[in-house]
Amino acid sequence: MGGIGLEIRKMLERDSYWSVLRAYGYAGLVSGGPWVLSILSIMMIGILAVALGVAQREVNAFQICVTYLMATSLIWTGGMQLMFTRFVADRAYASAQAEVLPNLFGVLSITMVGGFLWAAPAIFWFFTGPFFQNLLLLSNFVVLSGAWITLIFLSGMKAYRRIVQTLGKGYLLGIAVALAASPWELNGLLLGVLTGHAYLLFSFLHHIVREYPGSTLLKFDFLNQRRSFYSLFAVGTLYYLAVWVDKFIFWFVPHTSEAVIGPLRASIIYDLPIFLAYLFILPGMAVFLVSMEADFAQQHERFYRAVREGDTLMHIEYRRDRMVYAARQGIYEIFKVQGLTVVLCLLWGRELLHAVGISPLYIHLFYIDVVAVSVQVLLMAILNVLFYLDARREVLIITACFFITNLLFTFATLHLGAETFGYGFAASVTLSAFLSLFILSHKFNRLEYETFMLQN
Amino acid sequence: MNDIVRAKAAGTSAGAGSVADPVADIALLLEGTYPYVRGGVSSWVHQIITGLPEIKFAVIFIGGERKMYGPAQYQFPPNVTHVETHYLLHQDKPLKPNARKGDRRAFSEMDELHAHMRQSSTMPVEKMTKAFSRLGSAGGISHEDFLYSEASWDYITRQYRERCTEPSFVAYFWAIRAMHAPLFVLADIAAGLPPVRAVHAISTGYAGLLGAMIRLRRNIPFVLTEHGIYTKERKIDLAQATWIQDHNDDVCNTLHDEMGYIRGLWIRFYEQIGRMAYAQASPIVSLYEGNRLRQIADGAAAEKTLVITNGIDLQRYRVAFEKRPEKIPPVLGLIGRVVPIKDIKTFIRTLRMLVNERPDAEGWIAGPEDEDPSYVNECKELASSLGLQNHIRFMGFQNVLEILPQLGLMVLTSISEALPLVVLEAFASGVPCIATDVGSCRELIEGNSEEDRALGAAGSVVFIADPEGTAKAALELLNDTARWHAAQQAGLERVKRYYDDKLMFSSYRNLYVKALDSVTDSAKPVKVA
Repeated sequence: MGGIGLEIRKMLERDSYWSVLRAYGYAGLVSGGPWVLSILSIMMIGILAVALGVAQREVNAFQICVTYLMATSLIWTGGMQLMFTRFVADRAYASAQAEVLPNLFGVLSITMVGGFLWAAPAIFWFFTGPFFQNLLLLSNFVVLSGAWITLIFLSGMKAYRRIVQTLGKGYLLGIAVALAASPWELNGLLLGVLTGHAYLLFSFLHHIVREYPGSTLLKFDFLNQRRSFYSLFAVGTLYYLAVWVDKFIFWFVPHTSEAVIGPLRASIIYDLPIFLAYLFILPGMAVFLVSMEADFAQQHERFYRAVREGDTLMHIEYRRDRMVYAARQGIYEIFKVQGLTVVLCLLWGRELLHAVGISPLYIHLFYIDVVAVSVQVLLMAILNVLFYLDARREVLIITACFFITNLLFTFATLHLGAETFGYGFAASVTLSAFLSLFILSHKFNRLEYETFMLQN
Repeated sequence: MNDIVRAKAAGTSAGAGSVADPVADIALLLEGTYPYVRGGVSSWVHQIITGLPEIKFAVIFIGGERKMYGPAQYQFPPNVTHVETHYLLHQDKPLKPNARKGDRRAFSEMDELHAHMRQSSTMPVEKMTKAFSRLGSAGGISHEDFLYSEASWDYITRQYRERCTEPSFVAYFWAIRAMHAPLFVLADIAAGLPPVRAVHAISTGYAGLLGAMIRLRRNIPFVLTEHGIYTKERKIDLAQATWIQDHNDDVCNTLHDEMGYIRGLWIRFYEQIGRMAYAQASPIVSLYEGNRLRQIADGAAAEKTLVITNGIDLQRYRVAFEKRPEKIPPVLGLIGRVVPIKDIKTFIRTLRMLVNERPDAEGWIAGPEDEDPSYVNECKELASSLGLQNHIRFMGFQNVLEILPQLGLMVLTSISEALPLVVLEAFASGVPCIATDVGSCRELIEGNSEEDRALGAAGSVVFIADPEGTAKAALELLNDTARWHAAQQAGLERVKRYYDDKLMFSSYRNLYVKALDSVTDSAKPVKVA
């Protein structure tokens, strides 16, 4: 992500409060943009639809449908996203750009056609609703799966400005269509989201095809075991499973949930606070992008340059120390900024819930969720550093730990009672963050040894 | 500790002569030569095997990489009863990097060993035995430990910090790896060699080190013959090696910047493995007095050294002599590989000067051209830029017996030689020689002992890289028929009297019998100084 680092550093060099603020704002939008924009627009559609006279029950059903679509499509494509990103990076390094586009179509066909093949029977089997509604759900799922792939690909291309602009336009279009079609109630709203996401998919694709040369139409080299890392596939899948598993548990345990539409259930007590809490990761994400992608990436590159170009051992160690310092500084910055965010949420949480019309009964769950998602930003930052160090096995261990502990702890909280809800997720993410910190420190201590002695 | 005991036990049983069915009497340890590469040393080895049919030989070939060698160039005589081929840089099963701790104690023992090596003092035999028995074994330093362990990493970085003055750690790291990796292969070869009654290495270097390892492991006699001086040749190679980058930039010129640290490291490495071979070998044979003195200077115990000169089958060359024309052909022959060490370019320049005086003169370069193609090209370009197209012939590998009768003079412009067989062959075929003053060339041409010198000069000795002097010497011989014939007679007589292969065979027969007797006669291990 060198491009964004450079852009942000330029902004910071102007050295005024305004430019610093703009730099971080930009970084926040770029890094947390997709997530926050989608949450905000779904909420917006809900609020506006109610205002336009759509029944609250229909709006609830719509929001649950979209949430499930997001969760399942992310888990379905998460593995491929990581594995394919690495494939593209390796191809670019090997100056084989022409292989990238046909392989992108390969990934898209696998995720979209494959997704269709398993989702179609599932949806038509479990949902007893009208045919048209099932069709909308199915196409939403397929389009969303494709959109994630193209989005991660564009991030790899460092086309952040493009991403943010397109996201903005896409969600505006989605909102507009949803509102225009709101007389058809749930189907109309689903059509709106489908239009928005389809717009995203096709304009991302349009951009990619225009920028990337390609010789053939379709290739599946990324599945080749010699060129790909299936451990990355496992990491990507496990990560999204870990992030969603507590929600699924709350949705499907009878006494914390209720049926909403077809087989889909929702947990009113659990869902709202956590989605609200996710809006507060933006400051941390902004710092993450600036300090990690700009500072750390630069130090990382210098370290490996020192190794490659034959520096003295002392200088290599100095470079290692600078890199460790950059990583530590980045983690520390995220900790500070997210810590401050948590404090502010503790102070004004009650007023905030009141302002958006959520019952103050949720306040404790909201508090712990803000802490949990803040630690999750930290975890993401550390995982990112580990990715830079190509510590695939270690990342796999951490994500597996995240998934398993979230599963176990969440079940534990169900037994311990309502006042512990949310603590399972928080404890799991905290434990995983500590584990990753420990592993990172170990990795850094052995970095030169591993770099020299364990290369092939 | 267990391993040492086991190694000792194995050694004693071998030393006691209770060797269970040895596959051969003598295992010849051959580095990069017989049977895959033609040349002086290889033909010598073939000669020895053929000349001593009553002795059973095992041929242990050690090469660098498999792809560097073609098919075998010699057919094994029936007394070769066992053949092994090993490649130091090739691994049949490539190791996979995996993190491991490594035995720190073993590495600190290695530290001690290195300290001894640096002091260039002779090392106690027990220390060396211990070090080599630990190499590659489970209780010591395995190849994987050396490549992947933390202990190894700590050791390498500590050494670098303490000694290396060079900027590049990467270069140092890879030099250390490249230097030590073959030792593990050698340890494997030493461990896997089937029983033999004695080993005979035909050079120091890796073959000599293998000999020392086997001797320490099994306590069987280890005979060493050196044709050239391996360490010296490696130094010449290393001084010119472009794969080592010296960091002698203008900024950090120091007092000792003539040679980079890594280049020096390699040279010390070869010196040290040479010294280890000398410490374990007995006797240490050289081809002529000059090299014997050099071996002593390099650390060989004087009482173990002896000279056995090369010899040739005079009968074979009789035919070539009889085929000679009446008139002296104005043809200068250089028989040898086209490589820098033979200094072919000086030969070409010599010819230029000679042709100025004798336009009918020709120069024939007969020898393989596949070793250093870029040098071959340079030589050919030099020849054509000097306008010698019609006077020089690059003939490639030739049958010596057919070439020799057509030569007027044999010329050797080498910058390093031991005891070149081609000179003996030329003498036996009635061709006088002009050679540079390297190796035993002066002894061959002018004679060694008082009695030998009385036979007269069989040609001329010239300086290295001196085309003018060489051309002058050639002209004198070619233009003065009487002198030429005197030189021819001296050569014929000298080779008959001192360089008959029957002499060489009987020397080696005695040497082998003595070594093998020491195994079978007594139960006690061979005493090594």
